[in-house]
Amino acid sequence: MGKKRSRIDIIVDILQSIQEKEKGIKPTHIMYRANLAHQQMKLYLEELVEKNFITKIERGNTEYWHISTTGNQFLQKVREMKEFEKTFGL
Amino acid sequence: MIRLVYSPPWFYGKDILIDIVSVVALLLIGFFAMRYYSLSDKNKNHLVFSISFFMLALSFLFKIATNFTLYYMDTETRKIGPYILSYHELEASSLPFYWGSILSRLLMLLGLYVLYCIYTKQEKSTVVLVTSLLLVTVYYGISVYHLFHLTSFVILALITYHYYTSYKTTKRVLTKALAYSFGIISISQLVFVFMNLLPTMYVAAEIIQLLGYLGLLGTFIMVLIHGKETKQN
Repeated sequence: MGKKRSRIDIIVDILQSIQEKEKGIKPTHIMYRANLAHQQMKLYLEELVEKNFITKIERGNTEYWHISTTGNQFLQKVREMKEFEKTFGL
Repeated sequence: MIRLVYSPPWFYGKDILIDIVSVVALLLIGFFAMRYYSLSDKNKNHLVFSISFFMLALSFLFKIATNFTLYYMDTETRKIGPYILSYHELEASSLPFYWGSILSRLLMLLGLYVLYCIYTKQEKSTVVLVTSLLLVTVYYGISVYHLFHLTSFVILALITYHYYTSYKTTKRVLTKALAYSFGIISISQLVFVFMNLLPTMYVAAEIIQLLGYLGLLGTFIMVLIHGKETKQN
């Protein structure tokens, strides 16, 4: 069995899945890509909106999520941190 | 009589510059580790890691302050006929120098031990025992200076060994660079042991130490660059 993901790992998975789709991503796709239950995803998306990491754009009846500059910067910092952890064995 | 100055006079100030480079490297890494602590859902290892690096930086700051005072503050100036003569007069028994050296060495050994503890889980009783032995080392290390440098060498060598075995497992080039940097810093401590025999040994040790800390700084910069380039797994 794999190691349980931390809160930060889940946030990174969500942001990465959004970042990979430049034209925006549907919530159901975030659910699959980040491997989350619907309710769980909703809570995380609310938190990420509050932190200005992501924005929602509605096209027709469908909502698409986009990553903001702040979200990109956060992802960058986390990648640096992971690299730091791996190198220094923390 | 306690000897506090080992540097040859022509090297005065240059060793301070070398120590400043070490402080910059240590503070930078400590600062980033502290930033990562808040980013990582409070991973305790980041906090302890940054504390150990801040302790090491503070140790160098005490060393710089002590050396600066010894080299520059006690210059006696006398006028003899038409000539003005300046020379150093070292009051080695003065209390501030004594405490500066004590604090510098204490923070260095404790900082290294805290770093070592991150990688090898220690029983509380072992921590108490080792800490008290380090205190004894610092106390006697003022008069028997080899003691301090040999103890630093042993702890640094153990940290180097940890990074090297970690590299063997992960095959990460940056961990290898880290092991080499710490290895070089360890060697510098070994060279410091012989500084009483030959003043140039002090110069050699300082230069080796500079290479080690530059390696550490370079490795850290590479971590930041690599972190920007790579996507998380």
